[in-house]
Amino acid sequence: MVSSTIDHMVAVTVFLAATLLFIGLFNQTIQTAVIYQRHRATATKASDLLDNMLLSPGIPVNWGQTDIVPTGFGLQDPEFTQYRISPFSLMRLNSSTGTPVYYPKTGLTYSNITMGFGQSLLVPFSSTLNYSTALRLLGINGTYGFSLTMTPIVTVSISEVQSNPLTLSINVFGAGSPLAYAEVSYCFMIIKGREGGAYPSYTIDYGTTLANSAGVASLVFPGFDGTEDSYVIIAYAHLSGLVGVGYHEHVVYDENYVVPFVSNFETGEVLLAHSWDVHGGDHPAEIAYNATFVLLSEDFTLREMPLDNETGKIVGKLNYGQDPQHAYNNLTINTHNPGILIVTYSKSAVESGVVIMPWGISSLAFPVTFGGDSSKQEWVATDMRQVIVGGIAYQAKIALWSLEGYQVVG
Amino acid sequence: MMRTIEVLIVIIIITGAFIAASFFAVLPWPRQVSPVNLRRLAFTTLQMLDSNYDLSRAAFETENYTIWGGLQIALSASLPPNVIYNLTVYEVTGETTQLYTFIDSMSNAESLGVTSDASSYMVASSNVTFNVVPEKIGEHSGGGGTLYILNCSDAPGWWITGYTAQSLAQDLYNLLSPYFSNTIMVQNTAQLGQILGNTSLQGETVQNAVVINTCGEAVPIPTAYCTTPYSNDGYAYYNWFLGQRVRQYNWTWASIVGYPFYYVSNIGYFTGQNDWGIYGMKAVYAAGLNSFLRGLNGQGYVTDTIGWITSELTSVPLSTDAIYYSNYYGIYPAPYQTATRALPVGITSAYNLAVTTSLFDPVSGYRAGAVYRNNVSGGFLALGLTRTPDIRLTALGLLADYKPRLYRSEYTAKGTSRIVVLQLGLVGGA
Repeated sequence: MVSSTIDHMVAVTVFLAATLLFIGLFNQTIQTAVIYQRHRATATKASDLLDNMLLSPGIPVNWGQTDIVPTGFGLQDPEFTQYRISPFSLMRLNSSTGTPVYYPKTGLTYSNITMGFGQSLLVPFSSTLNYSTALRLLGINGTYGFSLTMTPIVTVSISEVQSNPLTLSINVFGAGSPLAYAEVSYCFMIIKGREGGAYPSYTIDYGTTLANSAGVASLVFPGFDGTEDSYVIIAYAHLSGLVGVGYHEHVVYDENYVVPFVSNFETGEVLLAHSWDVHGGDHPAEIAYNATFVLLSEDFTLREMPLDNETGKIVGKLNYGQDPQHAYNNLTINTHNPGILIVTYSKSAVESGVVIMPWGISSLAFPVTFGGDSSKQEWVATDMRQVIVGGIAYQAKIALWSLEGYQVVG
Repeated sequence: MMRTIEVLIVIIIITGAFIAASFFAVLPWPRQVSPVNLRRLAFTTLQMLDSNYDLSRAAFETENYTIWGGLQIALSASLPPNVIYNLTVYEVTGETTQLYTFIDSMSNAESLGVTSDASSYMVASSNVTFNVVPEKIGEHSGGGGTLYILNCSDAPGWWITGYTAQSLAQDLYNLLSPYFSNTIMVQNTAQLGQILGNTSLQGETVQNAVVINTCGEAVPIPTAYCTTPYSNDGYAYYNWFLGQRVRQYNWTWASIVGYPFYYVSNIGYFTGQNDWGIYGMKAVYAAGLNSFLRGLNGQGYVTDTIGWITSELTSVPLSTDAIYYSNYYGIYPAPYQTATRALPVGITSAYNLAVTTSLFDPVSGYRAGAVYRNNVSGGFLALGLTRTPDIRLTALGLLADYKPRLYRSEYTAKGTSRIVVLQLGLVGGA
């Protein structure tokens, strides 16, 4: 009787201990499987979300060309189908990388994409679409966070090999290898200071050349000394449907210059401000400017489209520290075809420079990063697509993470 | 002792179950949990390479090493370094036993590994002609069918910023000439004077014609009409006369942009400029349009007292009809336009006009673009949009109004289509 009771007690104790142990072990196994499923679901969501963004133009379809807040988020170019992205919708995304710029004369803060001196895109926050609005429009507010990166596939880098005569080297690289034997078309602009006139003048030269087997092309401009005058070169490279753009500028004077701000997407209004009012600096002085606009035509050559003098000041003067009514000038870009606004400026006959601004993000192949910070997340799913933005090849990459707070095991 | 042994047996069984469950429920590698969607990447890569039909060209010229090699360079350059590929081209044979025949392939690796996926993309040969024969306007109605495009070299334009009247005329010719029995470029104002006098230029029928004014807000005026009475009230009388002629000849007059009949232009006669630096034109102001509408309505000439009648609508969407005909004729202007010179809907009752084609639906009592027809004779296409003009809208408005049919020929895919398969794999990493 006693041995039977002891047998029962031992058996029950061992069984209970074993049950508790196995519950813990099975729980760990099940948790692993659940996390696997959740990660898998996040990865599927990333792919779906990226397609949702890229294959829908949003509501209204032309929201990228207006200043209204869309009621549906999408980046597709409404004039095309499939993975063709609107260069203007991308312009309206609030950049998550550049430091915002405050311009006291308008009292507005601007989203900033700057690629170097005189190569910037500044869009007022009031006209941009911010991350939280995008999350709400995509229906993932509180459940997922994302970061969307649009990067040009082809990198066209231009460097100065020699100043006199000016010799430039154009390097064309793709994501994986050089774009050998690519055809390169370029627009070369030489800026002259206020010689015999109140405003700077410029000459534009167009041409084409061919890259070698290493994706390198060389350009020589006989009779032009690169140290004497400011210049800017914009080059398009294309091969078998792959198109990229690059630019290089050299300015002889950069103490005072023009800062262009996008003012109105619908009317194409751009503000031209004095740099001292935006960034400060030493030796502020009055500058004169002369603006023009170039388009990329279908045969990959650049074409100058005169700006309208009636609706803005194509040429003018800017002084620093003026009252807001006289601090900046307006001009209007009367097209919603992607192009490049080129503003030459000068303080004197020998002190000149040039700044450029893309109208449509693709015309200067500016990269765009929009969304949250993925680096602080525990587990991030990524996916990518190859897309065309305004004729330029881009790679669209999404990083998506869950906000539901589960952990990584394994 | 028996109970303890039973419990031990149970523990052994559960342990076995746990080991078996653990064997299957392991966390996979990150690549398996969150794979790059290689199928979509392959598809979008093919689409991108064919964005200018370069892939289509290369798929049909695999023996051309320059083109085929260019495609391989572009493909290698477009994919990330850790992605390997195999691109294969097949001929669509249409045979019952074998649908696809291998043509050629390219690859940057011997094997695509265990993780790979593929997408296919159909391309058509550039030699394929999808023949479309348009019906000629006036072909069956027995009269008309003439398109006059005012390409007057001696008349400058206004509000056609970025273009010249001549470049617009050439684009219109390319777009619309297949739909008309005769397309005549009116090369100067003297020739305009001829057709205003019912004299044909090349033996065409003057009556029932369509006249497109490519000079924007300016209207060419022949030198012979630069005198009284046509010059009365700052040339408003000339515009009344044009309206009268449109009614008399049953023309359809097309104004491509801005405020119609705002200027008259003749570079040989007008020596002054229009206050904006354009020489060779004179402002008639709003009286030009009002006088034209009176002439079109068969009313006598009176000095205009109405003045400015248009309004700004900013962004206006294409009407449902316009979108339908946009798809039918394959003419795709931007779906939203900016209208700064929209005409009031009230002109229809004031001048006995009916809207036969509405490119934009009315907003707040104003219509941005439409074809108006008088209840007796004559028509008027007015596009009150802001510059820069989009002549696709002019073409769309006229085609939507005349509705010429398109006769499409049949074609076969055999020998004219190829399928391109891009298979992608990943190398390196976990």
